[in-house]
Amino acid sequence: MSEKGHAQSNIRLGMVIDLDKCTGCGACSTACQAENNISYRPDESQKLRSITWMNIYQLDNKKAYPDFKIAFLPRPCMHCDADHHSPCTFVCPVNATTRDENNGLVTHIYPRCIGCRYCMVACPYHARSFNWWDPTWPKQMESMLSPEVSPRMRGVVEKCTFCHHRYNKARAKASVDGTDPNKAIYTPACADACPTKAITFGNLLDEKSEVAKLSKDPRAFRILEKLKTKPKVYYLSKQDWIRNLADNSLT
Amino acid sequence: MKEEKTSASGKVVGTLLFVLGFAGAMVLGWVVFPNLLYSQKVQPLNFSHAAHRDNDCDSCHKFRPDGTYAGIPKISNCKECHESAQGSSEAERILVEEYVAKDREIPWLVYARQPDNVFFSHAPHKGKQIECVRCHRDVAKEEKLPPLREDRITGYSMTTMEMTECEKCHAERGASNNCEVCHK
Amino acid sequence: MQFAAGAVGGTLLTPLPWKLADDSAVWSQNWSWRPSPERGEITKVPSVCTLCAGGCGIQARIVNGHRAILIEGNPANPVNEGSVCALATSALQFLYAPYRVAQPLKQTKKRGDKTGFQAISWEQAQTELSKKLEEIRVEGPQSLACITSSRRSSMDDLWAQFLTAFGSPNLFKMPSQCDSSRTAAQLTTGNASPFAFDLENAGYVLSFGASLLDGCAASSRASGALRRWKKDRYPVKIVQVESRCSITASKADTFLPINPGTEAALAMGIAHLMVNGANYDAYFVKNNVFGFEDWTDANGKKRQGFKNLVASSAYSPEQVAKITGLEAAKIREVAKEFASQPKALAVWGTGRADISNNTYHELVFVALNALKGNLKPSGLIAVAPKVPLSDLLPQKDILSENASQHPRLDLAKAQSCPCPQNGLYGFLDAIASGPKYPIKLLMVHEANPAHCLPENKLFMTAAEKVATLVSFSSYMDDTALLSDYILPNHMALERFDDVIGVPGAPYGYYAVSSPILKPLLDTKHTGEVLMKLASTLGGTVASSIPWKSYEDFLKFRVEGIAKAKTGAIIDKPIDISSIKAGDPVTPNYSDGADLFKKLKAGTCWHDAPTGVTFDKTSSGKLELACQSIGKGTQATDDVIYLPHFSPLKPSGSESEWPLLLVGYSIPQVSCGYLANPPFMNKLVPDSVLMGNELFVDLNPQTAASLGITQGDLVMVKTTQGEASAKANVTPAARPGVLYIPRGMGHKAYDEYIENKGVNACNLMEVQLDPVSGMGTVWATRAQLRRV
Repeated sequence: MSEKGHAQSNIRLGMVIDLDKCTGCGACSTACQAENNISYRPDESQKLRSITWMNIYQLDNKKAYPDFKIAFLPRPCMHCDADHHSPCTFVCPVNATTRDENNGLVTHIYPRCIGCRYCMVACPYHARSFNWWDPTWPKQMESMLSPEVSPRMRGVVEKCTFCHHRYNKARAKASVDGTDPNKAIYTPACADACPTKAITFGNLLDEKSEVAKLSKDPRAFRILEKLKTKPKVYYLSKQDWIRNLADNSLT
Repeated sequence: MKEEKTSASGKVVGTLLFVLGFAGAMVLGWVVFPNLLYSQKVQPLNFSHAAHRDNDCDSCHKFRPDGTYAGIPKISNCKECHESAQGSSEAERILVEEYVAKDREIPWLVYARQPDNVFFSHAPHKGKQIECVRCHRDVAKEEKLPPLREDRITGYSMTTMEMTECEKCHAERGASNNCEVCHK
Repeated sequence: MQFAAGAVGGTLLTPLPWKLADDSAVWSQNWSWRPSPERGEITKVPSVCTLCAGGCGIQARIVNGHRAILIEGNPANPVNEGSVCALATSALQFLYAPYRVAQPLKQTKKRGDKTGFQAISWEQAQTELSKKLEEIRVEGPQSLACITSSRRSSMDDLWAQFLTAFGSPNLFKMPSQCDSSRTAAQLTTGNASPFAFDLENAGYVLSFGASLLDGCAASSRASGALRRWKKDRYPVKIVQVESRCSITASKADTFLPINPGTEAALAMGIAHLMVNGANYDAYFVKNNVFGFEDWTDANGKKRQGFKNLVASSAYSPEQVAKITGLEAAKIREVAKEFASQPKALAVWGTGRADISNNTYHELVFVALNALKGNLKPSGLIAVAPKVPLSDLLPQKDILSENASQHPRLDLAKAQSCPCPQNGLYGFLDAIASGPKYPIKLLMVHEANPAHCLPENKLFMTAAEKVATLVSFSSYMDDTALLSDYILPNHMALERFDDVIGVPGAPYGYYAVSSPILKPLLDTKHTGEVLMKLASTLGGTVASSIPWKSYEDFLKFRVEGIAKAKTGAIIDKPIDISSIKAGDPVTPNYSDGADLFKKLKAGTCWHDAPTGVTFDKTSSGKLELACQSIGKGTQATDDVIYLPHFSPLKPSGSESEWPLLLVGYSIPQVSCGYLANPPFMNKLVPDSVLMGNELFVDLNPQTAASLGITQGDLVMVKTTQGEASAKANVTPAARPGVLYIPRGMGHKAYDEYIENKGVNACNLMEVQLDPVSGMGTVWATRAQLRRV
């Protein structure tokens, strides 16, 4: 949050998603659900009540048959890098959601969250979900909960963490191996799963990294750039109609 | 005069009462309360760290290849030496008969268990040359495992480190105090 | 007073108030009823996924050796190259599913009554089953039948071994496009092995209805191909021919919208232009194709060849335009592109490839590729190579010899088709309509025909006529619910299994799926149940199945590869598509035991593509005139031998049923043996399912003509049945066609699955292919009205 902390480090974790390769198969989202103990309910058709960190939006070009085309836009948390604060961190009254200026991760701590949902209102990407109910699993399915991510409770907000627990693990491994933890690399569950390898993840400030190169690709754009939220999730597409939907053409 | 006397003795009584109340509260707060608050749980069998002094801490409490910390060793580790009884103590008998022979894990009680939303890795701390005793009790000469004292309200062990303590040390050493460094 | 003051003062100096305040704060954050996942050592256990036929390498994350928490891709596997699909990432939801069958069950009430199932011991289950088998064996062993999964595994061969030794010919697999592809390959090349496509090395892909990205079988391989096609420099052009604006169509560079079921007409149209423009591989055709030119049959009768058939005006662009609904100019344009691109490949499919295709249409697509020279030894099309596993040699005895007088039930009809294949529909039809002999015991393994077989009522009717229905399902699925006995199999991640070939892949592939965990419940490997039943039956059945465990059986099979000394193990990432036909692959295993050990550890075996040979046909060439089709008949029409457009007419009149209903699949819905897991439920768009209401897609024009608007409740009525649904008015739908998503509408399992939407299979019509006798599906006549 603090100004002095901002942009001091040379790590900015970010993601590039190639929409021309994305087929909307949902593997990123299910991998995310399994990795992050995301709860589910018998009816998930009410999308506003459904908790998904990696939500897959279906876009279309609004044309008539047969020029109609669809595309998919997987939406994790954008981990906005706007100056001084992200939209959500600015409004949190209890500092439950903050941005780590060492790596740009926007984090959310559940026990501290009071469930006011200001952050959900502030987020222009609908990246945050609220636990209206206590998460419950069929008894047997509790066996597949991961100990690396804590299950949430009723009344708190949750969102994509860029699998920061994997980052912590990668840093710990670097410490044990005697390498520099600040150079530790990892991939989130979604990027690991993607069958077309449309998701690239890494340090945007590392010029040599694939993610940094792709983020400067002529096909790259971000969603709602006009809001100057500076998302750290970039998208790639050659198709103008997709780029226009992202509001990229408006200034 | 009389009134003054009475008031003087009253003062003495009052002071006495005050001291009594004060002392009672002190006893209650310092002695009775902790005993009430913390339950005492006994470990499934005794382990003498002193008897294992020939080994380094690392030979049992080790890191896994993925950088995570194994913590309390598994029965396979005990088995390396205790395939058959190494002495005649009761603990030795339980170890060999109940656990080693049956290949069952010992349900050790953990003194420093952190709640589910905490991520703690020994790796960076170890790398910074922080001694084990900075956070854990000194077990070098310990013959008998102390009982686990569990807070009846929170369910935490009495020796579970609290967040303020983590933060203080992190701040002093210039380590990050960002939420996601320690929370998951 | 003073005492109280002292007490207060004293208390404030003790930790009591502060500790209590702190503890209550901590306590307020403790949600004790929230599950606390057990911590400990997390290990990765590699295996191979068998949830679909794709054969992907996976690794499971296991906590403390007994709790699986995540399924990831295995980067060393060449099929999925580290990635994993939505179904596989949800695999643990099947392992820990509440609807798993925990022990053998026996129905004590009416079939289908959930409350009637009584838990029995394995001993009782096996004793009762073997008693029934013994009775049937004496009365007529042909009365035993089995329906198994369409996935290719050694279980197929074990079933075949069991049934053959027992004396019954009635083994059927759930339908798959591989069936019709195999028929076409057999007719044209003499190889009883489905066609395979070198997707990764194609330079131009013309897809006739193949749902490559809409949840087809082996989706990982299709995704890997897409990644290669969408490369930055010189991307591969994809042309999708289909009636609906699907995901594949949207990803394609060109979408050719056509009337449903007319893909083969377009292929004929393209072939027409290539032949008439002499724009085809004349050298290949001249030297390697039989029946292109006019030909003479065995009786010396002169017959028309493919050239003259396709060159006729019946397949002119204008005629084809009328059939398909495309513009003639567009057909010319695509034909020109296809003919001129050096590495153009035509692929074809039937939606998600879980239904067989019209044989003549299969032949049309083969012919189109033949014109392109794609069936050359190094071409883009091959037949799937045979994996040299040890063969099983069943030992027959008198009882089973007698049974040979009783042909397979679907073939026992007076009039049978010329090239019979996996005739599941004919079989079910026969049982339902008075069979030659009764089926007394039907065993269903890794299949859920009551739900996912199009026109599933055929199965229901047939099941009613079967005295005993046994399910080996791990789950309380729609078919298990109807069974008299359920002998639950281990779940796919708890058992040994194998994958024989990747569907549609030109390279040789074999992998062993090892259990990632010990079985959680009182289940038994179906293979081992069969072994037990065989040993109880004794005699030749027992001696045909001598193995004691399924692992031993797989070891025996793998010995065959080691004996053949072919192929090699892959244990690190490689690009398997770079291996060409004829490339040397040096075995890197010493013997069968070594090979099995490596396979068990999650690696896979591969071999170079074998291409396609024609030495098994009577002409020694690729036969576009399929002489065996006309065998035994006095065929007068030459066209019956040749690839041609031959749509099967759906029943009902167009005036009564003005619309066509077409089932479609989406990758977010599992629509085979496995029901949609909760993770995938989150992916299902709210334009497919809302609450328990399913949406049918229709074009705005169609909607306007029927007075229907978005979200209206509608009644869909087809010649097969009716169902209520909601209208999704979308330009993705072709005017005049209704599209219904498949995989919904289960009547079993649990609250996460049951009663969500409508089962499309209830509404779909199946037609028997006149050549192979297999069921094909393309469209059903329908009507729609607002409720």
